[in-house]
Amino acid sequence: MSVTLLSVATAISQAILGAIGSVLPQPASGAVTNVNTVDGLAALIFAAILLLASMLNTIVLIWWERKLLGRFMDRRGAMHVGYAGLLQNFADGIKLFRKDTVKPREADTLGFWSGPTAYMVTSLIIFAILPVSTGWNSGSLPLSLLLALAVFSFAPLFIFVSAWSSNNKYSLIGGMRSAAQMIAYEVPILLAVVAVVLVSGSFDLQTIVLEQTNYWFWVPLFLALVVFVAGMLAEMERIPFDLPEAEAELVEGWNTEYGGMMFAFFMLTDYLRALLGSFLIVLLFLGGWTMPGWVPAAATSFPLAGIFWFMLKVYIVFTVFVWIRASLPRVRTDQLLRVGWNRMVPLALLSVVLAALLVTVKCLPVLGCIPTLGG
Amino acid sequence: MSEMWINMGPQHPMTHGLWNLRVHVDGEMVLDVDPEMGYLHRGIEKISEDRHYNEVVTLMDRCCYVAGLAWEHLYILSAEQALGIRPPERAEWIRMMSEEFQRLGSHLMWYAAFVQDIGLMAPFLYGMRDRDLVLDLFQSYTGARMTYEYMRVGGVRNDLPNGFTDQARKVCDWLIDRFEEYDRLCLASAIFHKRCDGLGKMSRADCVAYGVTGPMLRSAGSKRDLRKDRPYSAYDRVEFDAATADGADVTARYLVRMEEMRQSVRIIRQALDWLDKNPGPVMAARVPRWLGAPYAPIGNEGYLLKRNYPKGLGLSAIEEPHGEAQAYIVNDGGEHPYRVKFRSPVFANISAAKKYLVGYRIADIPPIMGSVDVCVGECDR
Repeated sequence: MSVTLLSVATAISQAILGAIGSVLPQPASGAVTNVNTVDGLAALIFAAILLLASMLNTIVLIWWERKLLGRFMDRRGAMHVGYAGLLQNFADGIKLFRKDTVKPREADTLGFWSGPTAYMVTSLIIFAILPVSTGWNSGSLPLSLLLALAVFSFAPLFIFVSAWSSNNKYSLIGGMRSAAQMIAYEVPILLAVVAVVLVSGSFDLQTIVLEQTNYWFWVPLFLALVVFVAGMLAEMERIPFDLPEAEAELVEGWNTEYGGMMFAFFMLTDYLRALLGSFLIVLLFLGGWTMPGWVPAAATSFPLAGIFWFMLKVYIVFTVFVWIRASLPRVRTDQLLRVGWNRMVPLALLSVVLAALLVTVKCLPVLGCIPTLGG
Repeated sequence: MSEMWINMGPQHPMTHGLWNLRVHVDGEMVLDVDPEMGYLHRGIEKISEDRHYNEVVTLMDRCCYVAGLAWEHLYILSAEQALGIRPPERAEWIRMMSEEFQRLGSHLMWYAAFVQDIGLMAPFLYGMRDRDLVLDLFQSYTGARMTYEYMRVGGVRNDLPNGFTDQARKVCDWLIDRFEEYDRLCLASAIFHKRCDGLGKMSRADCVAYGVTGPMLRSAGSKRDLRKDRPYSAYDRVEFDAATADGADVTARYLVRMEEMRQSVRIIRQALDWLDKNPGPVMAARVPRWLGAPYAPIGNEGYLLKRNYPKGLGLSAIEEPHGEAQAYIVNDGGEHPYRVKFRSPVFANISAAKKYLVGYRIADIPPIMGSVDVCVGECDR
């Protein structure tokens, strides 16, 4: 478990620069193999690996959703490109990439182009913050959870900017809905996170996960988990809360006017955020990369075992989201907001009170003694 | 957000066809609506005046693309009356069975579109999948899945193929089980009730005032069903109930259509039994030869039109899947009908949009319009 992403990136950087330095004459070679240059390149490689991994995972996630939805609907989903359609999304991506992106004449240029770009970039930043295994992130930040949630909540702003600058009535209504919905559900999500922070005593995601070695937090904080999952569904704009892009009434909602690569940006980012939501649920409530004690040691000690178990949990959580999507109708904006403010916020507050109680009476260590949960 | 007009259509996922619903909104609230029809007008009534009686059947398939056989039936009933021809009994039963299968096909299509409108993804494909079985049956005895051209003045084009009734019974059994599944997917869901209960209220008095018919009228507590009230074909010889509900809202319309599908299966089963026991001709023995004639040779139209055949009027009304459809044919003794006029139930149902849409929200428009079941083909003709 001593291998970390940064050490891998540094090793690659050293190898590349060393190779370049060995063929260069002395003064230039010294500058190239300098520690600062190595570290700078290592940071870039680190970012590139993260970008590649998150994109790859997102595309596999889309494929997984398409296949699952297909099965739920009594059909097969993508079948033709690659094994069981595994490469279908790459083909779709290439197709979208080659398409012309048309900007409506009356649309605001700056907002129209910067909206989707910023939406995607802010979602990608979070991947550098979230740890997937011990040491596998940009380092142990003391406030990584707070930072992740803060960046996560940028989205409604950019959605609204791109919706408003599209100069389309459907986009505008979709953008309004999206902003109202995301702001309404931000509150219960943050309150549910407060419960986790109370129990773990830290804002650092690494520490939060390590605190769950004995028992996963969903056991004492079940109420917070329910609130958090429902809030995440709303943040990710998936059925039953996908009304900002309810295709039945709003055509495509806030991204109606976007085509080609800009549409691909929105589409990819929606799934990036679905992936991020699943990441957060696993990190905060399902023990991150830790496994309960009854799992044989061989299963948790092979190289990169942490990442394997973490991603397995992430995909299981996402499968539940797909299941929900396949079987529930969509609610209405006013109903959604009413549920958000009248039900979710009180429930979230209740979960905070419960968490505070658990911490005060110090009954949490007892959970660690239950064999199925203990580590 | 200030008040504004939105064009929902002519290209919009809600419309299920080619029409435009202009909506005046204040935020999410609907203040006024203005349905605009006519994007799909093809002048079917006028074209009919230049065609032989049997050639009009081709147009009827294009009238409603999900209920072609029902419209063929409507036209044929009227044309036979105008020409004074009576079909054999077996043809009547086959037509009745076809209309009921068509009702199943149309309602399954409606179910698929309706659940899609409220955001249910999986049942959409269930509805389409099961509709395919009905289309397969149509293909087996009419040769086509959408434009059948099956009914003729004086009967139907051909008899049912061997083994058809067994296959049809299997489909009926399958569908009856699926209806339970559909109900579990919709009625058991709290979100479904949140989205549909109390929406699009259209009281019985309003329905009568606006000429709204079909499942919409029956969902308001009325028992009016032309198959019961003015039986045509063999409907007076089969047992079934007119499906009704009391809610007068979207949920009530859902209930009515689901019950109608069950009743259709009931009628079809009786019809299949009868057809098994009573073989016979499917075409009237004495049909004027010119009914089967192709277009008049170019330059000779005047000659053909001058012939004097018996004159007559034909007026028929059937309970089409969307409501009450009527056909009126004036036969002035020529080879072509002098005038053909259709009454489309969908046109009346959409025209009342102001009554059942105003006061609800934008998000309510798709479920409400979905529960109206729009078929623009027959509406614009």
